[in-house]
Amino acid sequence: MEDFDSQTSDKKGPAAKLKGVGDSLWVTVDPDRSEDEIKEEINNVFQRLNHLAIGARVVIDPGKKGKSNELIDLLEQLLKEKYQVGSVSLPPEVREKQTNAENRIRQRDLDRSWYQYSSDVLMLTGRVRSGQKINARKHLLLLGDVNPGGEVVAGGDIIILGNLRGIAWAGQSGNEDSIILAFDFRPTQVQIAGYVAAGTSEASGKNPEFAHVENGTIIVEDYIEANPFGRLPWPKVR
Amino acid sequence: MEGKIIVITSGKGGVGKTTATASIGAALAMENKKVAVIDMDIGLRNLDVVMGLENRIVFNIVDAVNGKCKVQQAAIKDRKIDNLFLIPASQSDNKNVISPAAMKNFCKELRTEFDFVLLDCPAGIEQGFENSVVGADEAIVICTPEVSAVRDADRVIGLLYAKSVLPKLLVNRIVPEMVARGDMLSHEDVVDVLSIDLIGLVPMDDNVVISTNTGAHLIHNKQSQAGKAFRRIAMRLNGNADLPIEVPRAKKGFWGKLGFKRGRNK
Repeated sequence: MEDFDSQTSDKKGPAAKLKGVGDSLWVTVDPDRSEDEIKEEINNVFQRLNHLAIGARVVIDPGKKGKSNELIDLLEQLLKEKYQVGSVSLPPEVREKQTNAENRIRQRDLDRSWYQYSSDVLMLTGRVRSGQKINARKHLLLLGDVNPGGEVVAGGDIIILGNLRGIAWAGQSGNEDSIILAFDFRPTQVQIAGYVAAGTSEASGKNPEFAHVENGTIIVEDYIEANPFGRLPWPKVR
Repeated sequence: MEGKIIVITSGKGGVGKTTATASIGAALAMENKKVAVIDMDIGLRNLDVVMGLENRIVFNIVDAVNGKCKVQQAAIKDRKIDNLFLIPASQSDNKNVISPAAMKNFCKELRTEFDFVLLDCPAGIEQGFENSVVGADEAIVICTPEVSAVRDADRVIGLLYAKSVLPKLLVNRIVPEMVARGDMLSHEDVVDVLSIDLIGLVPMDDNVVISTNTGAHLIHNKQSQAGKAFRRIAMRLNGNADLPIEVPRAKKGFWGKLGFKRGRNK
């Protein structure tokens, strides 16, 4: 797919831009330019398309500022008469939002935004003993153990690089995507976003295990085998 | 030299704090140290009975802390061991009659008088615990190989650290046969959870009940395995820290040994 789009709304950029979105042609026009400039640019682009434009669905995007319907009507007339396009419409609201989100994520990957990211993680070392309680506003990372009777509570995920034998409550903000991970997963009880599960007395394997919510129940799986984040296309801030 | 104050605590009741206090105190006194054992369980005193000194009580810890008598007056000399003294608890008062501040001052006084002071802490983590811990330099946490005792010991260890008292672990009432069968937590399991330094392992021993009821010292009983273990703990406290810790082993009978030699032991 050819992508003529660019994020900058530079005045010196083209008055109209074309890209393929799904099965339709997306025409972004710069409403600050004169009608003639826009028409000229559209002619430029559509002449190159030749027969590809015939019967095509065209979406005209006047940008956020919006433009009088006159311009849209004018362009519709032009496109239908000269290039025999199938239909001409304005961009749907939802559709626009999705595209923006897509662009933002793509942009973020290119920027490596996590370089600027200040951490939401409470990182601790040591042992949480019986009667002690750790409260983390968001994620909790503990290099150490949680003894029976100890409690760890977090708004997001709980990662324990050691034994988990006490109580762990993750996703207290109601986030069902939260996970609880431990090297030796033997909790008394786990809770994720209001779902409760009684603990297991024996860890099933040598590998680290993690608990997560699936279809309204808490499921514990081998972390290495399940590899829940292995399929993400690029590193993402959680 | 300033004396050392050691609090003997557990959180859970009935794990052997009083027996351990009496035995370790007696063993330390046998090593030519001047030792005081103090019953902090005000309202439920036991240590005097275990040591067979209940008929000699005139003054008690409450009188001594609140300045109604001198330390020397409250300290009762043991019947058999010259260097061993008991300061009994009051049976009629409740725990609030001693304040932590007064107890701290009293501990300073004790340090000048004795080489070792062992405080027998009451069960629980309320005022009695606070009073016992406030003046202590070190703590011995007693734990039996049961999950409930481990849980309470863990809580107490957290509290001791918070008061910057260094805890050491004593695992009491180990039954080696049950550990071997897998019916009882091993001391490794206990240490694994509590993760503090071990000062001794004491096996289950019927002689403890006998000596408690007669008021005789357990460490004087040559047959007692528990008495031996307590003597070794006292040696460790008395500067011999490198003394290896003996793990209680299951005794094999004659036929068991024979079977083992013929390769049939299962």
